[in-house]
Amino acid sequence: MTDQKTPESVPHKPRPRIVAARPLPTDYQSDPVDPFPVVAAARADKAEKQAVPVAPPDATEIAPDPVAAHVPQAPVPAIHSAQSSHSRDHAPLRIAHLYPSLLNVAGDGGNLIAIQRRAQWRGIPVEVVAVEKGETPDFRRFDIVLFHGGQDVEMAVAAADLALKTPSLREAAAEGVVIFAVCAGLQLLGHRYISNSGEEMVGAGILDLETRGGSQRFMQHAACEVTIDGVTETVVGFENHSGLTELGPGCEAFGRVIAGAGNNGKDGLEGAHSGNVFATYLHGPCLPKNPWLTDQLIRIAVGRVEGLRPSKVVLAPLNDELEKRAHEMALAKAMANRGRRTALEPARLVRVQKG
Amino acid sequence: MHDQISRRPVVDKTSLSFRGTLALVAGKGAARATRLIGRGGGTAITGMVARKIDPQILDELVRIPGVPVIAITGSNGKTTTARFTAALLRGEGITVCHNSAGANLLQGVTSLAVSYSNMRGRLPDGVLVAEVDEGALPQVAPETLPRALLVTSLFRDQLDRFGEIYAVRDAIESVAAGLPKDAALVVNADDPMVATLAEERVGRRITFGLAIKHSTDQISRAADTIRCPRCQADLKYKHVYLSHMGDYGCASCGFTRPRLDVAVTALEVTGLDRTRCTIKTPTGNITMEIPQSGVHIAYDAAGAIAMLVGLGIPLEHAAESLASVGPAFGRLEKIEADDGKIVILAFAKNPTSYNTTLRALATEGEPRQLLIAASNTLVDGEDFGWLWDVDFETMAPKVERVVVSGTRADELANRLHYAGVPSDRIKVIEDRPAALTEAFSLVLPGGRLVVLSGYTPLIELRNEMRRRGWTGRYWAV
Repeated sequence: MTDQKTPESVPHKPRPRIVAARPLPTDYQSDPVDPFPVVAAARADKAEKQAVPVAPPDATEIAPDPVAAHVPQAPVPAIHSAQSSHSRDHAPLRIAHLYPSLLNVAGDGGNLIAIQRRAQWRGIPVEVVAVEKGETPDFRRFDIVLFHGGQDVEMAVAAADLALKTPSLREAAAEGVVIFAVCAGLQLLGHRYISNSGEEMVGAGILDLETRGGSQRFMQHAACEVTIDGVTETVVGFENHSGLTELGPGCEAFGRVIAGAGNNGKDGLEGAHSGNVFATYLHGPCLPKNPWLTDQLIRIAVGRVEGLRPSKVVLAPLNDELEKRAHEMALAKAMANRGRRTALEPARLVRVQKG
Repeated sequence: MHDQISRRPVVDKTSLSFRGTLALVAGKGAARATRLIGRGGGTAITGMVARKIDPQILDELVRIPGVPVIAITGSNGKTTTARFTAALLRGEGITVCHNSAGANLLQGVTSLAVSYSNMRGRLPDGVLVAEVDEGALPQVAPETLPRALLVTSLFRDQLDRFGEIYAVRDAIESVAAGLPKDAALVVNADDPMVATLAEERVGRRITFGLAIKHSTDQISRAADTIRCPRCQADLKYKHVYLSHMGDYGCASCGFTRPRLDVAVTALEVTGLDRTRCTIKTPTGNITMEIPQSGVHIAYDAAGAIAMLVGLGIPLEHAAESLASVGPAFGRLEKIEADDGKIVILAFAKNPTSYNTTLRALATEGEPRQLLIAASNTLVDGEDFGWLWDVDFETMAPKVERVVVSGTRADELANRLHYAGVPSDRIKVIEDRPAALTEAFSLVLPGGRLVVLSGYTPLIELRNEMRRRGWTGRYWAV
């Protein structure tokens, strides 16, 4: 990150540079054919081969000047390939989707859709690579890593595999790759998860936090206040977890609880944040109904791709009427439920004693 | 009467307690009252009122007199399987009481018993076919002591109610494993989570599934990947038939799909209203034509037939019985509305039922005019995050107009927007009748309006259609 910033660190023009403000070449609103089909993610092994001509093999080699970066590609016609959208004006945002076949509950995949769309609507191409069990890509090659929630069984499978990925994930986090984690993702980015029965899952240790299994499940609409780069906004979602997370001194909270249980139902903290790593308990999915948060992630990632300080990146505004409506509704539901332990009477299920 | 379905009273008691009688009168009265004031079918209120007065009413009406109960549970396919089972039993000359309107929580099952029993608390001689919500099964089972239990499938449905699918599976497992020795357990072998239910059980355990030579679906979304229930490795499929149901095996521990007792060996689906299939049973093959469409219909038919096999009832009129079972309430139900317009009513409550329905609709061309509704209620759930696991992307480019409705219209609108439906083609009208008016007005005469909806808004929309004279009333119990 610091390497890329060197040429920019003596700026001649202090005014913010507008990135991704170019009007779209296609009138999206009236075009009957979707110009930005959300494509299925490529597998990490396959994408590694395909990605070579497009993306430099090493993140440190990314040209700091976006103009210089796209000049050699100018003769190439607009691309409609499965991997990137039509625009070549921006270097593509490369997203790693961690364990999509394991960690995929409660529509968390919507977070990926939200980032893809909001980038593409601004003409920023997106490449998505699915990183499954057994695959060990160099995470520094990505701009955003998504690490979603899953059920206990799947989480244990992911945890057993995570050790292989941990060194590279740590390097990526240190270099400023944006990591967005939800629920099980949050728990596995911490040091460890200790279940009710005392079994321990070792996490990546990227966030200074620890989680213990709890006796009850928090299942409710929730809201918190999140501050990123000095701007504070409300973030809404749906909690569905029983783990109790305590933050260590090495990381701060992602947000302050307005309604809901947050990390443990006690300290009023929600999620965790350190550098460009953001982790939350909010499903919903979170990003589609919090367009501000989505744009912050894109902004930070674009800044890194283009070699700009994130504060210099201004994203083109979008019509967020529907997003705001979904946000307001979720907020109203969370507030209506404020102070209560759970929104719903959980189904009285009989757990079978194992073994 | 056949031995499996004959009554086995716990205590020989001829009359109902005073409290029970009171509950019966009040429950029946409540249903009549709600119907008179046109507030719905009164299918859940009967049980609710009756249980308020006498919490033991279900026990008294069903368990103590030993009325044989057939319980059908699972996340998808309960209603249709229950209707097929009821039709097959009736076809063999057996009297059936059945909660056909789909009220399947504890109150709903109580309603079923209350509405079919006479004032002395006696149910007709025959069987009670109860569709039971997978979450309510642990409550329903002790009060009804099912003589047979059928599990259709387990998909991730309503995680906000159950927390995790594994909790649902564990709950069903506890009921299945606790069934008496002479009861029959019928499981869908094509669903790995269901196929392994109560494997150690002593007693009859019948499996059903598809045994056709080609896949009818593919694991299209990573989210559908299923892990081996024994060793957690990813399962490999020889054929995928519907979502994660198919002929599977585990490369790492050797777990495979169990042998099928009842198998669909040939299947042909045409249009929106025809499924031809051949089902192999221990006593021979049955070829049938069912006036509904989809691979899931073959599963439901196989399940119902497996149920009769499990009960030991000879299948003599199966093909005729199933030939007359049209779509259940809102299962791709075709309604002739005003101006020669057709309304297709489809109940969708989780990614699987949405994707199955969208795929079935696409066989007659992607829907262009739609009304989609979702609401927060106890039965429909609170968290609608699963809408993001529905494949709306395939349909999105063809959509000309979509009206979204229900108390979660906001989430639907945002989802469709991100699926690629331009925002100026999405109209949000929370009110159900107003949404229907708007959506209907945009369809040209002779055109087709597709209505996709969760349970509660579906009932509201259907009642509105009845008010407009497009359709008759639809509720029995």
